[in-house]
Amino acid sequence: MTALLRRWWRPWGLYLRINRLNLKAQTAYRGEFILGAAFGLVWQGSMILFAGVLLLRFPGLGGWKQGDVLLIASMRLISHSLYVVTFSNIGRLSLHVQEGRMDGFLLRPLPVYRQVLLTQFQVNAFGDILAGIGIFTAALLRLDLHWTPAKALYVIAGIIGGTLAEAAIQTLVSIAALRFTGVQTWTFWIDQTISTFGNYPLSVLPGAVRGGLTFALPVAFIAFLPAAVVTGHMATTGVPAWLTVASPVVALLLFLATKALWYRSLRFYQSVGG
Amino acid sequence: MTVAALDAPPPVREHRPRAEQSRRAWRAARVTALAEFYQWGRLASSLSMLVARCALTYWLWRALYRSTSSSAGLDVHQATTYAMLGVFYVSFRNVNRWAGRDTMTQHMLEGTIAYWFLRPVTPRRYYCIRACGDLSYGACWATLAFTFCLSTGVIAPPASTAAGLSALATMAFGLVILYYLQQLIDLACFWTVVNFQLVIMYEIVQNVLAGALIPLWFMPGWFVSFDGWLPFQGTLNIPLSLYIGRSPVSGLGRELAVQSCWIAALAVLTTLMWRRAAARVTVLGG
Repeated sequence: MTALLRRWWRPWGLYLRINRLNLKAQTAYRGEFILGAAFGLVWQGSMILFAGVLLLRFPGLGGWKQGDVLLIASMRLISHSLYVVTFSNIGRLSLHVQEGRMDGFLLRPLPVYRQVLLTQFQVNAFGDILAGIGIFTAALLRLDLHWTPAKALYVIAGIIGGTLAEAAIQTLVSIAALRFTGVQTWTFWIDQTISTFGNYPLSVLPGAVRGGLTFALPVAFIAFLPAAVVTGHMATTGVPAWLTVASPVVALLLFLATKALWYRSLRFYQSVGG
Repeated sequence: MTVAALDAPPPVREHRPRAEQSRRAWRAARVTALAEFYQWGRLASSLSMLVARCALTYWLWRALYRSTSSSAGLDVHQATTYAMLGVFYVSFRNVNRWAGRDTMTQHMLEGTIAYWFLRPVTPRRYYCIRACGDLSYGACWATLAFTFCLSTGVIAPPASTAAGLSALATMAFGLVILYYLQQLIDLACFWTVVNFQLVIMYEIVQNVLAGALIPLWFMPGWFVSFDGWLPFQGTLNIPLSLYIGRSPVSGLGRELAVQSCWIAALAVLTTLMWRRAAARVTVLGG
């Protein structure tokens, strides 16, 4: 039993040790480290400001009350901060390919995907999570909901699903980095689109755009659909009820599928050296 | 890794005929544009992203105004026009030099900043030439996007001819302010060596305070008053407010005077910073 536990813990121990070293490396430039931590707060703060101003100036955002919209924003923020800590380095894959580091990853006795995720500690996650917790508290104070253990568990599942959905989208984009240059711009754009359009009900958008942000670029699965289940707005999502409820599971399946596709695409990787 | 201070006197700069100087400046100014055109994939992706962002912004603002005809003194056409022009501003004010490893902070970190001080042109002038090239390149794309959106009715024409001309004049002054602000942030890397986060954070703060993220007319009064003491409004909010007719053209003289003061102050500050930077530049590498 102990041997089994030790075997299970070994990769996690290594993961934590490498992350600790990465964090230590980030403190080499102290000013940059502090700014990095503040960056997440400023960036997400600006997006919340955007959503907040819209909320105050335009009453009844698609029939959603203030607290309901804040719940979407906070769930997205918390799931994004978890994404930043665990998966965001996948968005830097094009840089690793450009600098020839990918060849080194292929030679080491550790899964390549995991090595890419462990290249750097993203300090801006501290700011992201602070902003997320702040907005989540504000949402809880404004929400007029009867909380049950099932609802609370569903919120947690929704947040984890949101993290996986974002990871799935960026993992899919990073596949292109194995073959083409200039993919980094797409990563930034997707990050920006999720930050801008993932904070409020997509039901305010025309049907075709909502469909695009649900099925083509699954932003809806990050926070909109789980929040719709918790706040009772399932009828406004434009998605079948079973799919809305199953959004965290769909996000998990999406992530597993894109990760499998990523490893499959790795066979076609061509080093910059030829 | 060795660190060497470049405290030697600057290289003697030869006097060349004006035509030759202009030709050399043109060759340096077009570097970023050429880098973009040699990578069609990147250019195509940037353009498709812009189209998607414009479309999403347009639909969002149209959807928001479905429940009301006016908000913060702006109707749906004014708000959509302002927001769309804000998207152009964010997309074209900077050309991406990152992938080409040609940002100032990358040069600083890789030691190639030394070449800036060895060329037959001062680093400050070289920075100005490159920035003018980048801004002109961005302005060409912005003009194309503006003409397309105007002809298709996505954005409204200026409130009047005078409003259009006033917007153009204040936008020109605003671009000069933007140039100096960007220079201040870039120059910071002579002191901090690494300033990636500062550059990104500046872009966000600039977007919020200039009104590129959300029209400043929607912001609370205290925020706008506070922002009035900073140079950012002059880079976007003032020209756009004149364009959509939310600010009167009669206030043009005052706006230009305020922008001129900021330009003068920032020019003095950046000159001082270049002098200090040249005295303390360190070259990383070995």
